[in-house]
Amino acid sequence: MTALLSSPQSCLHPLRRQFERIMAATQDVKGKGEGGDQNFDYMFKLLIIGNSSVGKTSFLFRYADDAFTSAFVSTVGIDFKVKTVYKNDKRIKLQIWDTAGQERYRTITTAYYRGAMGFILMYDITNEESFGAVQDWSTQIKTYSWDNAQVVLAGNKCDMEEERVVSVDSGRLLAEQLGFEFFETSAKDNINVKQTFERLVDLICDKMSESLDTDPAVTTGAPTAKLTDSAPPLQQPGCNC
Amino acid sequence: MGQKISITNSNNTQDSRFLSFLKRFSPQKPSLDKNMSPRTGMFAKLTAPSANKPNDFTRLISNSISFASTRTKEYLLFKDPEGKFQPSLQTLTQVFLMNYITQSVNLDLTDTFNCTAMTPEQRILLGADWVWAILKKPTKNPKIQIAVQVLHLPEREEAEERATAGKPISESIQMAQMESRNKNMYERIVDFCTSIGKDCYALFLFFGKRDDKVNIYGVLSNNFEAAVGKCDKIDRALIENFFKGSRYFHTPFGMMQTIFTKKTEEALTLMIKFS
Repeated sequence: MTALLSSPQSCLHPLRRQFERIMAATQDVKGKGEGGDQNFDYMFKLLIIGNSSVGKTSFLFRYADDAFTSAFVSTVGIDFKVKTVYKNDKRIKLQIWDTAGQERYRTITTAYYRGAMGFILMYDITNEESFGAVQDWSTQIKTYSWDNAQVVLAGNKCDMEEERVVSVDSGRLLAEQLGFEFFETSAKDNINVKQTFERLVDLICDKMSESLDTDPAVTTGAPTAKLTDSAPPLQQPGCNC
Repeated sequence: MGQKISITNSNNTQDSRFLSFLKRFSPQKPSLDKNMSPRTGMFAKLTAPSANKPNDFTRLISNSISFASTRTKEYLLFKDPEGKFQPSLQTLTQVFLMNYITQSVNLDLTDTFNCTAMTPEQRILLGADWVWAILKKPTKNPKIQIAVQVLHLPEREEAEERATAGKPISESIQMAQMESRNKNMYERIVDFCTSIGKDCYALFLFFGKRDDKVNIYGVLSNNFEAAVGKCDKIDRALIENFFKGSRYFHTPFGMMQTIFTKKTEEALTLMIKFS
């Protein structure tokens, strides 16, 4: 990563500049304390967005803490968790922001879109309205985020088959139309939670490598190993339940 | 509702002028509030009125807040005679919250007036220790919110800073601090409330203030942002200035009643004595 960041600012690809800004911020964090794992190769800022009560917080708790509670506590404003993943011997620190879905928090949540490299856009398969709002959320990403941000559409609560009102095909079709990857997930039954995050990380890494390959200014400082050298196979997007 | 107290006079007329633009007192006169002594212990539940009318509901909420304040007050001046045991400032906040939450659960208030304690990261990002919310039915979306930041006596805060200096901080806390580095904690809670609108109040809850270290006071406003542009920044001095020259301190009941009856977009600033 150090080599990646050695060229002057003016030559940098936008994606790389983005990484550099984020890395500069994390460099400031390094060395200030001994409470956490300060060693990593990359840090990705991810956001989970979607209507209120689709299960964003539960999804994050399942992924970060492997925990689930059915008690619904509406998120106030914004919160985040940190999780480190490994990909091809590289340590990637994920800073995962959990956003409140309610309209009243829109000003504060969209302020955190800036600098995000990936989004999990979530709806609830038992809630038509949350599915109908996906297009609006997608527009929010385009408005407040940067062009290269990667998005995975997640139809959550797929354990509640009897209450389903949004078909898998509808979800998949919408994802295709919007150019997003798609998974049906369940935080409760731990279905496709890890896979959703892993896929998002893969997409970000792919985009990063793609930018490095196509931008001559970037290749001069290319890392010795690409993060996409042995990308894992694509996961089954549908719900397994 | 209003509890008349001896006025802390400020000779600084500049302060008064400075603050006058911020203060938008409720037009209504504080009502008499003779029954405000909090019901404590097991009798709180036994004597709680049924919340059929809005006023009853307001009283249940304010009783819970008063109860928590009274219990917390008992610990404000605690000092270990041997000087070894020193509870953290966060402990006092937790004492307040534990008492409030216990009381509100006992009174079955949580579906209509809930209390969300912030995570350690949220406390830094949003500047709030907890957020009270009046919920709309049936969506349970917040209708009115009060974001609360607890302030301790400066000498206690300084002592804690000295005690915790050099101790390891978790990675996520460091990250939250990085995210919030451009604003102080007072500005963060005001920013948070301002981003929501006039139906979100910031309440600075003083666990003791300089001239009365054993009681709990508060400054509540949905208009702190008015200070931005008029002065350099929102800081403790600015908030403490609200106490100067204050004629009335509302009770918790008065505070809740005023909030409930206020017009939506109206600016409101209140000083409250909680214990």
